[in-house]
Amino acid sequence: MLRYTIKRLLQLAVALLGLSLLLFAWFKALPGGPENRMLPDNATDQQREALRQALGLDEPIWTQYGEFLSRIVRLDFGSSLSSGRPIGTELAERLPATIELSMWAIVIAVGVGIPLGYLAARKRGSWLDFTAVSGSLVGICIPVFFLAAMLKVVFAQELAWLPTAFRLSPGLAYTEITGLRVLDGILTGEFDVAWDAAQHLVLPAVALASIPLAVIVRITRASVLEVVGEDYVRTADAKGLKPATIRGRHVMKNAMLPVVTVIGLLLGSLFAGAVLTESVFAFGGIGSFIYQATTERDYPALMGFILVIAVSYVVLNLIVDLSYGFLDPRVRVRS
Amino acid sequence: MALLEVEDLRVAFGGTTAVDGVDFQVDQGQVVGLVGESGCGKSVTSLAIMGLLPRRGATVSGRARFDGVDLLTLPRSDMRRRRGSDLAMVFQDPLSSLNPVVKIGTQITEVLERHRGLRGEAATKEAEHLLDRVGIPDPRRRLGEYPHQLSGGMRQRVLIAIAVACAPRLLIADEPTTALDVTIQAQILELLKDLVDAEGTALLMITHDLGVVAGLCDEVNVLYSGRVVESATAPDLFALPTHPYTVGLLNSIPRLDLPIHEPLKPIRGSIADVIRWQDGCAFAPRCDRVTEKCVEGEPPLIGASHFHRCVMAEEVA
Repeated sequence: MLRYTIKRLLQLAVALLGLSLLLFAWFKALPGGPENRMLPDNATDQQREALRQALGLDEPIWTQYGEFLSRIVRLDFGSSLSSGRPIGTELAERLPATIELSMWAIVIAVGVGIPLGYLAARKRGSWLDFTAVSGSLVGICIPVFFLAAMLKVVFAQELAWLPTAFRLSPGLAYTEITGLRVLDGILTGEFDVAWDAAQHLVLPAVALASIPLAVIVRITRASVLEVVGEDYVRTADAKGLKPATIRGRHVMKNAMLPVVTVIGLLLGSLFAGAVLTESVFAFGGIGSFIYQATTERDYPALMGFILVIAVSYVVLNLIVDLSYGFLDPRVRVRS
Repeated sequence: MALLEVEDLRVAFGGTTAVDGVDFQVDQGQVVGLVGESGCGKSVTSLAIMGLLPRRGATVSGRARFDGVDLLTLPRSDMRRRRGSDLAMVFQDPLSSLNPVVKIGTQITEVLERHRGLRGEAATKEAEHLLDRVGIPDPRRRLGEYPHQLSGGMRQRVLIAIAVACAPRLLIADEPTTALDVTIQAQILELLKDLVDAEGTALLMITHDLGVVAGLCDEVNVLYSGRVVESATAPDLFALPTHPYTVGLLNSIPRLDLPIHEPLKPIRGSIADVIRWQDGCAFAPRCDRVTEKCVEGEPPLIGASHFHRCVMAEEVA
């Protein structure tokens, strides 16, 4: 297991290096360099050239890449061209909101999806199975931003059961520790904050969970149906084991393997959905920030954002791979 | 009273009849063979006795009395308590029959815990002892390993260890050597024989291999198209095969004492060429000695101790 972990860590380093190269090449290939963004339209060619030199854009390409790499290793992404504040600070302020939202979304997707998929498989052909399968098809098909908007209209505006926007009700005093507000509220004993933050999270988290939930239901169902027909489940039955033991140790432990893989893939796509969901609920995460950065050609901000997303994607996948090795002994030996 | 009495066992999947009125007995400590080619219903018979057929889709009727108790009508929870303790089963493919993500040790101790109430170190000790008994060297280390780390023969030994863990009175082995290579086959058969001899366990051996029957069984039942066509003690059956199907099976065995280029003698046709037992002998379409008499209604089981189901048998002999 240790060798497997080390091997995966090395692969991670290679992946990140490749990513930095790709990112660098992409920014080089973009039309309209940063000097055009930073100078007014009526700047002279000499002024543009002077700025290019100041930014190091006239250096050889490998020197520029080296500089780029050393800066991202130091987490120095430069300053936002829009606000003038360091990108690191901008992201650090907004990231907790996105993390909190994604976390709850995946908790909902896994917590509801796996039991529902299991029940659909066990009650195959029942109304529950039919509802789960067709419901998940709908879930996959509805665009996140549309679902988010519909949830907001119905549950926040018409029924007024839940707040329409933001992370906390205005005027609520709040002590920050981790930036995850439900957790912070519990940690500081400010349970009114935790409760309020949770209410604000319900709609965006449900909207964001819709696609992962639908995928997890389907994969779990298909996987359980396959595993219950395996010879080793029949062996377990022939041993006269209790149904709960057969279910947990022999069916679910095997059926979870493909589900874990899929969860890893879903985590990555979750960020894309988070950008859209946040903009609908004015959630104040990196979503709205990145929307602004894109329209304003704020390259350093975009670069920082892409790096953060990419690194978290790679790291999450590493965690999934490691847990896969933990679940399936055959993976450990093969590596 | 016999330990297991199977009477008029019938199993149908939808409209397809897999087992069509099978009768046989297994006495205490006896080794009984259930022989036939693929599709004759021998595996389905064993799964029906164990209560392992899918609840939906399989219709089972008849009786399978174990110690006088009909297993087929037993409540599911009672049957679950008997499976693995009173009667146990060894399956055909040892790799797919073991859970790939659960340690060998757990796969043995879970049955000890369920039926004998052993836990923790006591269960581990017993599991170690069981592996030792089925001839696995260094059992303590093997307990911590996974099925893919073991060879095919060792996996089958593990399955046998699991089956005998609670000293069952009846062991059902469904083609336990088919997935193994020849040298390992002999070892596994030897092991099964030793175990049942030592414990006085009755063994129901399901096989298509008459060699296995000759070496192991006291009694033999030959199955064709879901019904017993011949039933006798092993020596009687080999000395005086009576039903043309049994004769065909014996003739089709490759023999070392015949010239190398002598062609094999298969039974012509396939098991798909059948007529319903109610209308006549199901083997008639493939039989060399078929007459009008063979298809005039259901052939009865004839004989006193050596039974057969061929109306033409007297003429054959």
